[in-house]
Amino acid sequence: MDLSIDFAGLSLRNPVLLASGTCNYGQELQGLTDLSQLGGIVTKTITPQPRGGNRPQRIVETSAGMLNSIGLQNPGLDDFVTHKWPFLQELDTQIIVNIAGHSIEEFGEIAARLEDLDGIAALEVNISCPNVKAGGENFASNSSASAAVIEGVRRVTRRPVIAKLSPNVTDIAEIARAVEAAGADAVSLINTLVGMAIDLDKRKPLLGNITGGLSGPAIKPVALAMVWKVSRAVQIPVIGLGGISSVRDALEFIVAGASAVQVGTASFVNPNAGVEIAEGIRSYCAERGIEQIGDLVGSLQA
Amino acid sequence: MIDEKVELLANDEVSEGFHLARLRAPHIAAGAVPGQFVNIEVSASYEPFLRMPLSVCAVDDNAGTVDLLYESMGPKSAAFSRLRPGEQTRCLGPLGKGFSAPSPGARAILVGGGIGVPPMMFWGRTLLAQGLDVTLLVGARSASKHLPDELLKGGTTRLRRASDDGSLGHNGLVTDLLRDELTRGVCSVFTCGPHGMMAAVAALCFQTAVPCQVSLEEYMACGIGICVGCVVRVENPQGGSAYADYSRICVDGPVFDARHIKWEH
Repeated sequence: MDLSIDFAGLSLRNPVLLASGTCNYGQELQGLTDLSQLGGIVTKTITPQPRGGNRPQRIVETSAGMLNSIGLQNPGLDDFVTHKWPFLQELDTQIIVNIAGHSIEEFGEIAARLEDLDGIAALEVNISCPNVKAGGENFASNSSASAAVIEGVRRVTRRPVIAKLSPNVTDIAEIARAVEAAGADAVSLINTLVGMAIDLDKRKPLLGNITGGLSGPAIKPVALAMVWKVSRAVQIPVIGLGGISSVRDALEFIVAGASAVQVGTASFVNPNAGVEIAEGIRSYCAERGIEQIGDLVGSLQA
Repeated sequence: MIDEKVELLANDEVSEGFHLARLRAPHIAAGAVPGQFVNIEVSASYEPFLRMPLSVCAVDDNAGTVDLLYESMGPKSAAFSRLRPGEQTRCLGPLGKGFSAPSPGARAILVGGGIGVPPMMFWGRTLLAQGLDVTLLVGARSASKHLPDELLKGGTTRLRRASDDGSLGHNGLVTDLLRDELTRGVCSVFTCGPHGMMAAVAALCFQTAVPCQVSLEEYMACGIGICVGCVVRVENPQGGSAYADYSRICVDGPVFDARHIKWEH
């Protein structure tokens, strides 16, 4: 039985990745999980310049999930190269670097500067973070802007380009088609849903940034529907994420059309969640005589 | 640090609204130092979804047990309080950085407010065992929000209390007691409690050039530094990048030198 899967120029040991923003740059998970048992990890977003992120409170627990408004706090590209990459480079797993910028030019700039680093499996382009005012949402909700960002990145990199899509749009399939036409090798979806929580008695928002991104099991049905819809709208592979917390959750995304999945918020509850899901996929396939995980991709009978 | 499978040995209400959970958690018990915390799963369901971060109140390395003292004040702590002896759950720990030793020759003054008292109990017992003089100052809204003497006495040479409504001890703020203590010779201050109280303690120590360590609390998801949610604004030295504006309480703290925190009053 073979869990390995190749798509979009990526070659994964198994279809389970850790999602951007939920594993930082890998170091903290040492001793708590075995990253070499995963298909790969997607780094927290890197921007050209360091960012401080949003003021606290950044976390609110909600029904079957949570809101965050981190605001892409990250050390910036130079520090990433000096202090984060040496650790990542040594890991026996695929490293996908997630990038963002304030402008189309900044996305291109950071992609170009990462060309010199050997060992990056792919770039995931974050055109969909709901927690940053400039950039982010503006790109994600507009198909021509999304396409322009991907075109700019495509022009300067030989690496696989994955466009990470926002669910906070009228028609996610339209955005997916636009980034496909612009040269994306794959799409990953969904990023978090815009949400809000209020302290009623104080009549104040709980998050310092007022709104944030909703993640966790609560968003899984939304994500599943969007993965199914997008996988039918584009020819490029789809990476599914959004609330995946169990083996069956992950397999549902694969059946809906995802070639791989990302485990995100579940790692906050169980830092070994990704590896446990990968092992569970193996057991599921073994029990049912599924020889290639690829046979399950998009196998929904609808 | 380990995600340990732990068994509840006890989980009882020890004072109005306060519960004391004892876990069989030999790995965490062997490693925990005062000021550190754990992130415990209180329910296998999605409701509540995240784990509950709690300061370590006591450990018994020989028995392999960890005590967590918590106030039942929301759905998550209520769910935890329903776990019965014999039940198992998962507990990540020990997490974060603990307290550092007082200055040589200094008296230790521990200032706890409300549910910030448990880590002070662990630290107080540790300092007493080293032969140091420990003064514990405890503030709360009223007598009913104070922990009983029998829980606190093992961790202090001297205990002084303050209540906002005057129903127990000094009628006023715990910082009134601290102001008095600071006049009595060389000391080091350690504090954990509501943000406003800690900011006032830090300001008082700054004015009198007394070293002060604070144990901070913030809404937390992972407890291990991967979500970057539980941050505090810190003094960013000239030339530091914007990235250094905020530190993660779970891994860079929860104990910080009070001078490194950018206090917002």
